Amino acid sequence: MELEMLQHLGAGFEAAFTLTNMLFICGGVTLGIIFGVTPGMGSVTALAILVPITFYMSPLAAIAFLVGINKGGTSGGAIPAILINTPGTPEAAATALDGYPLTQQGKPLKAMKTALYSSVCGDTFSDCMLILLAAPFAAVALTFGPPEFTSIIIFSFTLIAALAGKSLIKGIMAAVVGVFLSSWGLDPVDGSARLTFDMVELFDGVPLTPMAIGTLALSSVIAQIFALKKSGEGAKVDTSLDKSDSFREDNKLPPREFWGNWKTLLRSACIGTGVGMLPGLGVSLAAFLGYGAAKRGSKTPELFGTGTIEGIQATEASNSAVVGSNLIPTIALGIPGNVAAALLIGAFMIHGVVPGPLMMIEHGALVYSIFASMLMANLVHLVIGRIGITIWVKFVQIPKKIILPVVTVFCFLGVYIPSNSMFDVALLLIFGAIGYVMRKSGFSIVCLVIGFLLGPMLEMALRQTMLMHKTDLTILVTRPISLVFLLLTAFFIWHFGFRGRIGKKEPAKEAEQAGD
Amino acid sequence: MRTHRLLAAAGAIALVGSVVSGAIAADYPSKPITMIVPWKPGGTTETMGQVLSKALTKNLGVKVLVKTRPGGGGAVGSTVLANSKPDGYTIEFVGISTLTWIPMTQKAVKYKTSDFTFVAGVSQYQMSLVGTPGKPYSTFKELIAHSKANPGINVADMGGMSKAFVNFIAKQEKVDWTAIPTRGGGEMVPFLLGGKVDFAFSGGVHQKYGEKMIVLASFLSNRLPLAPNAPSTQEMYGVAMPGDNGIVAPKGLPADIRAKLEAAVKVSIDDPDFTKILERIKFPKRFLSSKEFDQVVADTLVSLNKVAKATGYIK
Repeated sequence: MELEMLQHLGAGFEAAFTLTNMLFICGGVTLGIIFGVTPGMGSVTALAILVPITFYMSPLAAIAFLVGINKGGTSGGAIPAILINTPGTPEAAATALDGYPLTQQGKPLKAMKTALYSSVCGDTFSDCMLILLAAPFAAVALTFGPPEFTSIIIFSFTLIAALAGKSLIKGIMAAVVGVFLSSWGLDPVDGSARLTFDMVELFDGVPLTPMAIGTLALSSVIAQIFALKKSGEGAKVDTSLDKSDSFREDNKLPPREFWGNWKTLLRSACIGTGVGMLPGLGVSLAAFLGYGAAKRGSKTPELFGTGTIEGIQATEASNSAVVGSNLIPTIALGIPGNVAAALLIGAFMIHGVVPGPLMMIEHGALVYSIFASMLMANLVHLVIGRIGITIWVKFVQIPKKIILPVVTVFCFLGVYIPSNSMFDVALLLIFGAIGYVMRKSGFSIVCLVIGFLLGPMLEMALRQTMLMHKTDLTILVTRPISLVFLLLTAFFIWHFGFRGRIGKKEPAKEAEQAGD
Repeated sequence: MRTHRLLAAAGAIALVGSVVSGAIAADYPSKPITMIVPWKPGGTTETMGQVLSKALTKNLGVKVLVKTRPGGGGAVGSTVLANSKPDGYTIEFVGISTLTWIPMTQKAVKYKTSDFTFVAGVSQYQMSLVGTPGKPYSTFKELIAHSKANPGINVADMGGMSKAFVNFIAKQEKVDWTAIPTRGGGEMVPFLLGGKVDFAFSGGVHQKYGEKMIVLASFLSNRLPLAPNAPSTQEMYGVAMPGDNGIVAPKGLPADIRAKLEAAVKVSIDDPDFTKILERIKFPKRFLSSKEFDQVVADTLVSLNKVAKATGYIK
């Protein structure tokens, strides 16, 4: 089994180690870091607007490119958090706690290096877990039928609604609206038209691309434009780096100091990987859980928040470890772990690859090439991230009045080019407005998008169950795996709905922004 | 000397003559042609269309540009085509089920089959009814006998037309099947191989599984080239699914332009790159001339009308 896996991985490296593929990985990681560093952007925005570009790539190059973006974006957010105390991405919020004090002490480079190395460590650990676990998980999932999928999807809904937003009720409402939007179009069983208003454009339902770009990217731009109008650009930040010898000495990161905290790195990588495997739990939650656990486990917890590199390691290893492991449910079950994975599922489908238990069998060679590309991307990430460290700093200084119009243009291009349709552009505008209202009123956009993606899966699984078992729904409780997930669902609803929620303070405000 | 002059004169006259008589057709094509593919980039039909457009570019001497207009099972792109000028500069590469079954059963679709000029057939989807080895039935006949003894066995369909045809057969044979909807081959395959359904409709995906799947019947007017022993629904019930795809233009396309396009398609489908892509996706070439294509469409309409009426899709 292990040997076979290594052979597959070897073949994967062979397929992935081409110049084109390397260029796409490098491009992806670089773009990801830039988006992560740029204020108000982040990897989800980058993925949403760049997925349409991958229409024109080979499946391997497309996924390698997108995974590169996700990796770069997750670590890039740490840079503005460290330099100007403004996290580029919500998952880097905890990085600012110790990163910014280090900058104030004149050690910004040291903090940035720590963040980068920790990210790559967490990421690599998580990718290894993905490679080890994806095949056995998929083998188990292959025995699942519609009843099991029905229960698992119901369970995923509960987790997402409970954890992705500020309130369970608002989360459920957003998810329900997402499911409702996904029900438009031709009925999958008998082909009758549902809410299509006699428009052929709506036969396949609301298209994902304008929906995702509108709610996730465009609405964020709109929100920032209004904020900009209210408060102005703010003072120009000075992020120029000192060149003196003492500065250089202060910013050295001796390997012994970095690896001295290997326990923290490992702990955070495990937390991030675990969070990534469960659907709906955000990257930001992983970051705060990792930081919290490191503080509790430390011999010197009083140093946390004053500029200890252990705090940065704890956060960055944890949030980057989500990136690999959230592909486990994606590949094994076809259920996205979070919004980034949901967008990746969209990209897979474009290339005729249906994520789910059969993917390992049907497209095994492609999957292992993707795994190989992910490991290669980690190395690329380390090299590019380190070489470019003085360049990324410059992106922190770009004023929003320049960034926002550029991103707006990309939103429109991403929707129009693959569809050639002004109808889709109109949808983009509508969803941009809906997303803005949701942001302002505290409804989780993440819940909306995931509800939109899971809705059709739930409908199909439930209707298949009913047809196969002649409308006898007791099958949902007589099949053991199905029963386990239904009981878990009941437990979580009781736990979150009636007993208050775990980790209420920190993860709540973060995850709300996870769509940014 | 004299003969030379005579020959030159004759040559000049012949040249002028041919230019005058062929004025309209000779003009075409003089600018790039847009080829609509009504599917998302990356799918089988779009991949075929991209390679075909390059071969057509070679043979027509002008650029043939693919424009994807996905949506509604091909209905969005086909609506655009129906509303374009029949000048030969807007054509579509499409499966004919989009132009027959969809306008027949969806009243929101604004075009009719008669809104199109069928130029030339290119290839054929391999629609069939498939089972797995190790079942008590390995032929269509045995399946029917088994179904009569075991009412309520499950068959996976892919919605719409495939469901109507499955129901149609069940009605003809007076058997009781439960049609389970699946989202295409990606979902049908694990259902069938995992034993969650007893047999299934396949749009051609079964060809990738070799011995693991058995073709029980062809849904086409012909038997499948790779399964010559399985009967077709045409022989058994006189109905067939529209499996052909090809190049289509809006109605009113001038006959000489139609002939030019038809000739270009005929050469293009033997292009080495196009042959390679068809081999990779395991779809057979099936060139249809304009005349044959018209006949196929006419037969298809009769078939579909019969099926849709018998299964309640139209009154």
